[in-house]
Amino acid sequence: MNKRLMLSLAFAAGIGSMIGFFNPVPAQARIKLATLPDREAVVVRFDNPNVVMVEEERTISLQKGVNNVDFSWAGTQIDKGSIVFRPADAAAKVEILSTSYPPGEAALTWQISAAEAMSVKFRLSYLMANIQRETDYRMLVSKDEQTCSFKHYFKIRNWSGGRFATADFVTRDGKKFEKGLENGEAKRVLVNTWDKVKLTKEYVYDITRNGEGKVMTDYVLKNAKEIGLGAIPLEYGKVRIYQDDGNGTTAFTGEDWGRFTPIGDDMRLNIGIAQDIKIEMKKMVNDVQNRRGNVYDTDEVDEYEIKNFKDTDAVVTLVLRVDGEWEMKADTSGHESFERIDNETIKFKVKAPAKGTPVKLKFHYQKKNVW
Amino acid sequence: MNRYTFGIAALLMLTALSPALMAKEELVTLPKRDKVQLTIYNSVDLTLVRETRSLTFKKGNNRLQFSWAGTLIDPTSVEFKAVTGADKLDVLDTSYPAESNQMLIWTIAAEADLSANVEISYFTSGISWAAEYHGMLAADDSSMTLTAYVTVMNNSGEEYEDAQVRLVIGSINLVETIAGLAGGQRTARMEEAYGEMRKAGRAADSSRKEIVKEGLSEYYIYTVGGTETIPNGWAKRLQSFEQAGVPVRSVYTWDPAKYGAQLARILTFKNDEAHKLGKEPLPSGIVRFYRNAGAGRLGYVGAISTNYIAKNDEIKVNAGADPEVTMKVTRTQLKKENLSFAFNGRQQYLQGWDTYETFKLELRNFRDRAVDFEINLVFGGDFDFESELASNKVDFRTQRFALKLDKSGKQEVVYKVRTRFGTNAKK
Repeated sequence: MNKRLMLSLAFAAGIGSMIGFFNPVPAQARIKLATLPDREAVVVRFDNPNVVMVEEERTISLQKGVNNVDFSWAGTQIDKGSIVFRPADAAAKVEILSTSYPPGEAALTWQISAAEAMSVKFRLSYLMANIQRETDYRMLVSKDEQTCSFKHYFKIRNWSGGRFATADFVTRDGKKFEKGLENGEAKRVLVNTWDKVKLTKEYVYDITRNGEGKVMTDYVLKNAKEIGLGAIPLEYGKVRIYQDDGNGTTAFTGEDWGRFTPIGDDMRLNIGIAQDIKIEMKKMVNDVQNRRGNVYDTDEVDEYEIKNFKDTDAVVTLVLRVDGEWEMKADTSGHESFERIDNETIKFKVKAPAKGTPVKLKFHYQKKNVW
Repeated sequence: MNRYTFGIAALLMLTALSPALMAKEELVTLPKRDKVQLTIYNSVDLTLVRETRSLTFKKGNNRLQFSWAGTLIDPTSVEFKAVTGADKLDVLDTSYPAESNQMLIWTIAAEADLSANVEISYFTSGISWAAEYHGMLAADDSSMTLTAYVTVMNNSGEEYEDAQVRLVIGSINLVETIAGLAGGQRTARMEEAYGEMRKAGRAADSSRKEIVKEGLSEYYIYTVGGTETIPNGWAKRLQSFEQAGVPVRSVYTWDPAKYGAQLARILTFKNDEAHKLGKEPLPSGIVRFYRNAGAGRLGYVGAISTNYIAKNDEIKVNAGADPEVTMKVTRTQLKKENLSFAFNGRQQYLQGWDTYETFKLELRNFRDRAVDFEINLVFGGDFDFESELASNKVDFRTQRFALKLDKSGKQEVVYKVRTRFGTNAKK
């Protein structure tokens, strides 16, 4: 005599403690009395960036011979093809003989053969849709803008139709927290805090980022151990930035989307426009040279006048772009340093003295072989 | 449950053909199927059903009616063959009555009163099978346990009880679809199906069924041990094989044409003896990869539909991007060289030139173990490629770097490409 068990997700619609309902597709067939083993040790994993995997344990009492165990998930969004069912102890003397799928039902039946009557702990894993995750950060910057405390939050929202009385939630970087989560409920959990993280503040002129030529204020966090981060790749998410105002309270100073930042990369956060720094660009020379038929070179001088109306000196980064083949001429002047990022892009650092004293960056370059 | 209330109803009408007797038809209910064998193809919607029954014939002409209302049987495929007593039985004709297009009547001449085993075979659509695989990767991705399954799905409108099931792997040619020939009728017949399923469960063998694999011409046949009952509308999955310790290579691959503009982690293994496989071809199906997330817990890696994998052939599975292994390409310099000019009258114009570009490729590995890379760079036109790191020419426009980075490793590769345009390009 085979024993027929029914495993039903505790959250499946209409399931009582001892009686499991399947959609009655034919009406007479699938309403059965069943022992409903409790879910034990539920783990919800977010380590895959695209899908959520749920794993639960159930202890099933098997009789000697062939046992039929039903599993149904009506009302929840389980990916049927992803279901993996196996004994927790691989050495258990049981064999899963077959899996049968009834028509038009969110259900299946396993045929399990047991060498003797025993209780066996099984693990059941599956992908579940509509459990959303979201990362966000809080950054509390010190008054002198040298350091910050950086907090990493993980938010989960459950639209799956299922409910988790208690489960271990595992983030992409392996952080684990135990929570309950009802259907329709959202929870936000602080998963990491990094204190005394060194911060770089940059004033950036880059017309591909601000078409009006306004100077942007960026905070740059290098995701590296030497500045106090570098433990995990930082997920994409909103960063809300607050600053210690020196009076024991904080002020909100802006927010930006932090892009996905692998270890070693920079997370650049724009906190707004630096209104006290103004840059004006003029083209001073634009000559054609070395004409050969329809091919020519150009000689160009771009002049950037930078005025810093702050009370303190500032270093301004100018990110400039020139297309095609070109080279910078030696009489380029006014900068502290430069770096050619790639063929098209060059980055200058210019020191701008306080109180509006103008400083000029002269960028002299020759474009070659233009047609 | 009575099989004949909804099954393929066949009525045996034994009559002598003299006009006087025509009206006096003797109706004999068809005996139970003794055996039924299903040969299911996966490349087309086709199943060959072969059933044997014991029939009693009277001397003279016998009329045997076979009907299949509510099923997906191709009427042109139904055949009658005597297995015993064949020398005494002769099929005179097959008629398809005008009033029913789901019935035929064989007129069979018997030399004497006799009992014979007959085989009725036909094609049906609506029964299919598919392969499916689970790859359980070790924590370090270096090996996996590969489990193969076959799932048989029955939507044919008919239940074949205790059938021997054979699965054909291979691509056969059909000039018309069986579902089309069957008239496309599908009638759900699910009454009693659940009861049948339970019954099948009770009757089940308590050990896992063996699936025997044999080659035949261009095809491969899997024979499932014992018999199966799959009620209409149901599907049933059985394990085909399980192999532990299959070595897997994990290569971070840049190949935008195949995997998009991302450094994709490609898992590779071969269906051969060195990989503890290679006993049979692997039919097309979905491969799902899971990884050991510690303490026997599973994490999900990804899934892919694979084509048929012949013995000794290789399979590559894209497990997606990995945030801890990165690649960046920067064009650090562009020059135009070897400009050549021609005259059109007094007008000089450019007719040929080269571009000479320098690129920097930066690879970083933040994982705690060494990883392999395969970087495929595709160029257009007439180009020369040079680099400090050795590369292979894969085809006329593709160069490949293969390299390894230790844990927390970093490498920069500079390469240069000269491309000739206009009259500089080879004709």
